[in-house]
Amino acid sequence: MSDDFEPKALAFLCNWCSYAGADLAGVSRFQYPPTIRVLRTMCSGRVEPLYITEGLKSGFDGVFVFG
Amino acid sequence: MYTQKRMRVIDRLLDMSGIDRRRVQLRWVSAAEGQLFANYIKELSEELAGLGPFDASKFSLRLSAIESVLNSPRMRWLIGIDRQVTERGNVYSEKIDSARFEQILQAVCETEYRNALILASLRSGPKTVRELCAATGLEVREVSSRLVDVEKMGAAELHGYVGADPKFIRTAA
Repeated sequence: MSDDFEPKALAFLCNWCSYAGADLAGVSRFQYPPTIRVLRTMCSGRVEPLYITEGLKSGFDGVFVFG
Repeated sequence: MYTQKRMRVIDRLLDMSGIDRRRVQLRWVSAAEGQLFANYIKELSEELAGLGPFDASKFSLRLSAIESVLNSPRMRWLIGIDRQVTERGNVYSEKIDSARFEQILQAVCETEYRNALILASLRSGPKTVRELCAATGLEVREVSSRLVDVEKMGAAELHGYVGADPKFIRTAA
């Protein structure tokens, strides 16, 4: 089981920086693992610490914030 | 950066609750750095896979304590006032240096977290000091001094004795 364990992570992406970066990664066909579920925010400053604990509570294995 | 400061608070609280801080990560990626983004995801996913699955039900008491710390007026106020008092000075134009501020933040994090942990474990019914120690993993001395705090706030009160062991209950408010 531990060998094929695929982590599930919640990712907060800033609309102006990393969301566009992720978009670029997609357009340029850079390969990356399918672990993240993306949530777009208007700024990484919008990500409240409470969102992070909520993410962990709702069953994600990790939470990433990209600014 | 506000986000960076808040992430530091989160890291600290995770450390206290025994949740691996590597589960929560902050990275900077600009709009032009697609490759960097892909690399970060790869790197962080591997790290997360190494940590194994996260069982939220095992940490529910601790997570709800973290939440109430983050929600507490004291914590919100401290996070918000950070740059004002360290860079511009308060209304008496006294500046607090950032090392001192970090120290205050750390102390508040700790006491608020412990208070919250005690209140969270009292939610399931009245408990004696010893039961609270078992539930929170804190020492008797720490639990009783936190209980004094919590009592003062009016969040819990004495509910009789079991032998010599005082029993506490959450107040309705």
